[in-house]
Amino acid sequence: MRRPIDRLALEMDLGVTWQGEEEACAVCGEEVFRDRITALAASATLSDLFATTRSGEEPTLTAVLQVEDDPGWLLVSTKLPGSAFSALTPQLHLASWYEREILEMHGLMPVGHPGLGPLRLHQWPENHHPMRGQHLETGPLPHSAHTAVRPSVSGQGVFQLPLGPVRSGPQESAEFLFSSGGEDIVEVDLRLGFKYRAIEQLAEGQPAESVIHLAERLAGTSSFANTLAFTRAVERSIGATVSPTDQHARTLLAELERLYNHFGMIGRLAEATGLLVAVAQYGMLKEEVLRAGGRLTGHRYLRGALRVGGMEIVLSPVDRERLRAELADWSQRAARLNRLLEQTSTFIDRLDTTATLLPDYAVEHRLVGPVGRASGIDRDVRRDHPYAAYSSVEFDVPTVSDGDAEARFQVHAAELRQSLRIIRQLLGGWPDQERPEDPPRWSAGSALGWAEAPGGEALHWVELDQNGRVLRWRARPPALVNWHTFAHACGSGNNLTDYPVIEASFAISVAEFDR
Amino acid sequence: MSRWIAKGLATGLRTTRFPDSGVSGEEQAPSAVRLRWQGLSPGQALQAASLCPTAAIEASGTEEAGELRFDAGACILCGRCTRQFPQAFTRVADPRVAVQSRDHLRSTLRWGAGQKPAPASLSAAASAVQLAAQHLFRRSLHIRHVDAGSCNGCESELQMLSAPYADLHRLGLFFTPTPRHADVLLVTGVVTRNMEEPLRETYQAMPQPKLVIAAGACAISCGSFAGGPMTAGPLDRLLQVDAYVPGCPPTPQAILHGLLLALGRATERYRADQEESGGA
Repeated sequence: MRRPIDRLALEMDLGVTWQGEEEACAVCGEEVFRDRITALAASATLSDLFATTRSGEEPTLTAVLQVEDDPGWLLVSTKLPGSAFSALTPQLHLASWYEREILEMHGLMPVGHPGLGPLRLHQWPENHHPMRGQHLETGPLPHSAHTAVRPSVSGQGVFQLPLGPVRSGPQESAEFLFSSGGEDIVEVDLRLGFKYRAIEQLAEGQPAESVIHLAERLAGTSSFANTLAFTRAVERSIGATVSPTDQHARTLLAELERLYNHFGMIGRLAEATGLLVAVAQYGMLKEEVLRAGGRLTGHRYLRGALRVGGMEIVLSPVDRERLRAELADWSQRAARLNRLLEQTSTFIDRLDTTATLLPDYAVEHRLVGPVGRASGIDRDVRRDHPYAAYSSVEFDVPTVSDGDAEARFQVHAAELRQSLRIIRQLLGGWPDQERPEDPPRWSAGSALGWAEAPGGEALHWVELDQNGRVLRWRARPPALVNWHTFAHACGSGNNLTDYPVIEASFAISVAEFDR
Repeated sequence: MSRWIAKGLATGLRTTRFPDSGVSGEEQAPSAVRLRWQGLSPGQALQAASLCPTAAIEASGTEEAGELRFDAGACILCGRCTRQFPQAFTRVADPRVAVQSRDHLRSTLRWGAGQKPAPASLSAAASAVQLAAQHLFRRSLHIRHVDAGSCNGCESELQMLSAPYADLHRLGLFFTPTPRHADVLLVTGVVTRNMEEPLRETYQAMPQPKLVIAAGACAISCGSFAGGPMTAGPLDRLLQVDAYVPGCPPTPQAILHGLLLALGRATERYRADQEESGGA
């Protein structure tokens, strides 16, 4: 009985080599790369497309695919003889931003791409490509916040409303230009990249154990999940194993992160609909989960807990007992608050049919995380590609297909219940074993790591040299996928006053995108 | 709607008594790292420097004669030094860690040839602008926050300031959407090159007198991103800073302390190399 990946590769005439049970690698020529990936994407999902450039070597393109019913991943790569390749975008719309990124960061031209333009480097010199190791002279860049974004629509009665990059309240920096005919949002032009810190470039040449601290700062509120994906990529590359106790601790902390994020998300939705008591109640829940995280790991955002091959911290029986008591309290309060929210018409009516992403559209862009699951995409790497201790716990993947803000609220609320359920099971069967304290044995290689962050799947690909230094780190956090569809969600028949609801319902990180 | 009101009333008061009284055990969170020089031999000092993933611990020289520089403003609380040398590096659980001078976050130890320099004086002299601002803002203060390239950890903690546990409004502190109404510019993040100009424009749009607070290791020292190709910061290279709040991210209570410190309503308690303080 062949695995689905093997079957598909055979059909496509691709020779695959397996790296462990979970990653199949194939190489093909540049001339057939586009056709192979397009054909594969008919039955598999393109989850990432990235480039690797190094001086003195031919650039490499790598596509990461998920094949239906196979817990493994398929990586197809090709060497480019020059600095151009045939764009996938005309056949495969979801490749659009990946290809724009490849051009911007690496200077590799996707020939035939219909909509090239900067993603992160707005007013930068032409032909400057940060991932090629080029450095700009210091000093401020020519920048004008008011003229840089050009509206993509115009006409009689259409006016523009700029928002950002410095926005109201303590929020992340991003720029939105609303085109409106009065009340309705006709179009949103968004500009991200204000927070571009070149995190992947900074990692190059550093020991993987130090890059963990960079990965933790990729995005504050999905610190643990992104770092877990990165750490697993390193561990899979060098063949390190993790003890069951540490696997349990990783799973527990990942779910704790989901808890505080989802409490925060519902709190922001309540804020957008003016329910101040609900804001306070969910704010308290979030703060309590953060405090629990601080107590368990020494850091409210769970930083410094992961290391290659295990965990830096031990969850003592006393900690676990206390967490169990808190869990009961949180689930009870969350259930009550959820009931109250569902009975509050001013809340539900604002969310109903707001910013609808239909399932067809969601599939076309392969949306990830709760946003995708609210538009009928039944995917969750915790279930489809089990890691850490997820194969030893029972949980459901809540999916609805309405695709509006209310559906996103329902999915987040249901995921909260599942997270609480997972943590309860973990605490019930904690494997208190001795942990081997072997330092990692470094070897050259590359591998993919993954984790389900609060916002969706985080994929991290890493290439190491024989001393454990990072040669290339590719981070594909969930926000990179979901921002692509944000403007469309805003424009689909919504009013300007819906905007806070839309942004809150997406619960999407700017830092994750900007990197 | 009445049910929400009932729910709110039934919950009762959950707000911290900070800063009027100390912080309770529940509110304590690792806020910064403090160094006890006595707990560290020269060899260990050199080893500690090699552990640090940022520029928070830097050493030069040999075991016979050398120097160790500790900068709590660059510390991201990764826990490497506190795990390896718990006798020398400890996590401070008291969130009152904000300081008015960048130097108060630094400490230098010399061995062999030199001696440890005398600790800096504890009282920082407030500038004329600060005094004027403190007098004007003593009852009510409006804060304009700018994310100049953070990971969103700091924003998450700033949002928690409005939650019932910290509740900054009771202290007369408010976030304002417009810089025209703002008295304090609260900056988080490394200041990326893309954010440098929007940050300046925001600062210039604020009326005089105005205060600037650097919150978090990134704003203070660029933290993990120091020397990065897209980094224009740290903040005090671009603007004059009135208070520094260390942490990665700084806890809500630490940010409150930073705001009150800039206003002259709180005093400094933290020193990078202070002996254990007298408690809460």
